[in-house]
Amino acid sequence: MKLSMTPQTVHLIDQYDDGENSRHYTFQLAQPTDEIIQPGQFFTLTLPNFGEAAFTYLTPPNNQDQFQALIRRAGSLTSELFNTQTGTLLGYRGPFGSGLWPIEMIKDKRVLFIAGGIGLPPLATAIATLLEQDSNIGLIYGSRNPAGQVLKLEREEWHKQMPIIETFDHASSSQLTGTPLDHLDTISQKLGGEPEAVLTCGPEVMMSAVGGYFAGKKLAEESIWLALERRMHCGIGLCGHCYFGSSYVCTDGPVYSWAEFIKQQNRC
Amino acid sequence: MKSYQLSSLDTLFKQLATQHEMFEPQQLPGSSDLHWLPSQEGPADQYSSAKKRLPLAPAKGFLFAEREVLFHFDGKTFIKTVPKVKPQVLFGLQSCDLCAIAYQDQFFKGDSHYQTRRQATLLVGFDCLTPCDGGCCSTVDAGPFVRNGSADLILHPKGDEWLLISTSEQGDRLIQPLNLSSAPSHWLEQRHKGEAEVVKRFPSDQHIKSSIKKINQATITAEQWQQLGLQCLTCSGCTNLCPTCSCFTTFDQNIDGESAAFKRERCWDSCLYEAFQRESSGHNPSKEAGERLQRYWFHKFSDHYADEFNRYGCVGCGRCEQTCPGGIGIHSIMRRLENAS
Repeated sequence: MKLSMTPQTVHLIDQYDDGENSRHYTFQLAQPTDEIIQPGQFFTLTLPNFGEAAFTYLTPPNNQDQFQALIRRAGSLTSELFNTQTGTLLGYRGPFGSGLWPIEMIKDKRVLFIAGGIGLPPLATAIATLLEQDSNIGLIYGSRNPAGQVLKLEREEWHKQMPIIETFDHASSSQLTGTPLDHLDTISQKLGGEPEAVLTCGPEVMMSAVGGYFAGKKLAEESIWLALERRMHCGIGLCGHCYFGSSYVCTDGPVYSWAEFIKQQNRC
Repeated sequence: MKSYQLSSLDTLFKQLATQHEMFEPQQLPGSSDLHWLPSQEGPADQYSSAKKRLPLAPAKGFLFAEREVLFHFDGKTFIKTVPKVKPQVLFGLQSCDLCAIAYQDQFFKGDSHYQTRRQATLLVGFDCLTPCDGGCCSTVDAGPFVRNGSADLILHPKGDEWLLISTSEQGDRLIQPLNLSSAPSHWLEQRHKGEAEVVKRFPSDQHIKSSIKKINQATITAEQWQQLGLQCLTCSGCTNLCPTCSCFTTFDQNIDGESAAFKRERCWDSCLYEAFQRESSGHNPSKEAGERLQRYWFHKFSDHYADEFNRYGCVGCGRCEQTCPGGIGIHSIMRRLENAS
């Protein structure tokens, strides 16, 4: 874990709109890195004079030290990022987090991903890793409406390799509606059986519903995993902002097993 | 650990002052409170008084600065800022505040800003011979006598003289020129036995002990916490004055008003603030005052943290009780929790 709070330099080298108020970014590290980023880890981005915020890797740094992120405009820092020209120099720290998607544990199981809205990007590194290993995986992606969907190009690729159900709170008659849990039977048929592991990310209320449902279906609590979002100012377990029970999401998370999630939630 | 017979505090103070900036609790004109201030004249005439008082604020700001620059950006690179700290002595620390420093030493072990300040600092502690108003250090194993290893030098009054205990190499080295005689062996034995006598004079702490149990058994309901939370005015008095509280926020300051050059600072923050966990989306995991209050006391008294730090996050200084305008400092809230059913 890197303890320094001083960023290193990174260049914004590409950006395109990808969903309502959301944009797909590519960054180039100024200094080469040989750091291996694990699925689930995150980084921070500094916008000079606007502070620093945590984001998930959409893809980890490649052999040219380029990595990607999908970022939604939500506050002053992301608004400034949306006004930032390609080529601008920014600050980067990472990788952070020791709570990871349990790739080794689930790669031979039937794995169901359940994403809600902007919760899809944090699942992307796990999806990519399992696809590389030819794992049997599927995705239910719930969004408020079609405009709220992100990762258009990634989903097009994934559609060729895995079953995906896309559902909406508000949609036209030709599209699926309802919550992700409404479509479990369909995805189970496509996966060849009920899921043996569930990885979810989205609004906390959705993840609670998903975890509670599968725990109730007697899926082992260590087979249900979720990633939490929290406000963070350091990424190294010091500033205190991201507390969750007796853990810090930045160092102990951001990924928790359902068992650990419930334990920590009861401590809050 | 070495122990010596010291006839005058003045001698020790002057010796330490030859190589250090000296700080000790002092009264400001017109105020009865004690504040940590520079002192080259010292020592102040307060250490032998029967009832030593706790400084209004702990000494944590000397090590975990209330506000400091982390790095600056010149438009091209990010350059780490290292605090410049002259060798300093904190003279006159009570055991509760020393235990808090030991706690923060662990918490900030990887924080270079804290460690730079800490390594430049010598700690001189004094045993408390009487309980102070509102103090409950003995309940949480943080006093009234200074714990070995928490200070470089420990002073214990012996009539007109002092038992001086050095517990660090730095302490040994600094007092070596004084050529002090070893302390009579019975002084150490007397000190050892004496603490129990002081502890007996503390008021009942049953309300704290039984509430710690309730906090750890999670038997206080969300409604009960919320009821108590309504009394929190989010003034941050408790978190600012708590010697173990360490939450901070960061913010950027533009350097010249034109270019992208800026410096990032950090400053103390408070988990009792409504926006402490609020995300830019508006999602707030601790939006209720009761949730935030519960968090504060969980952090002070949870066994989970006690396992990690070998002690509770509360050192029993009682400052939160003194400062809280809402009546939910340690004694008030522990009594309410004790009676909650």
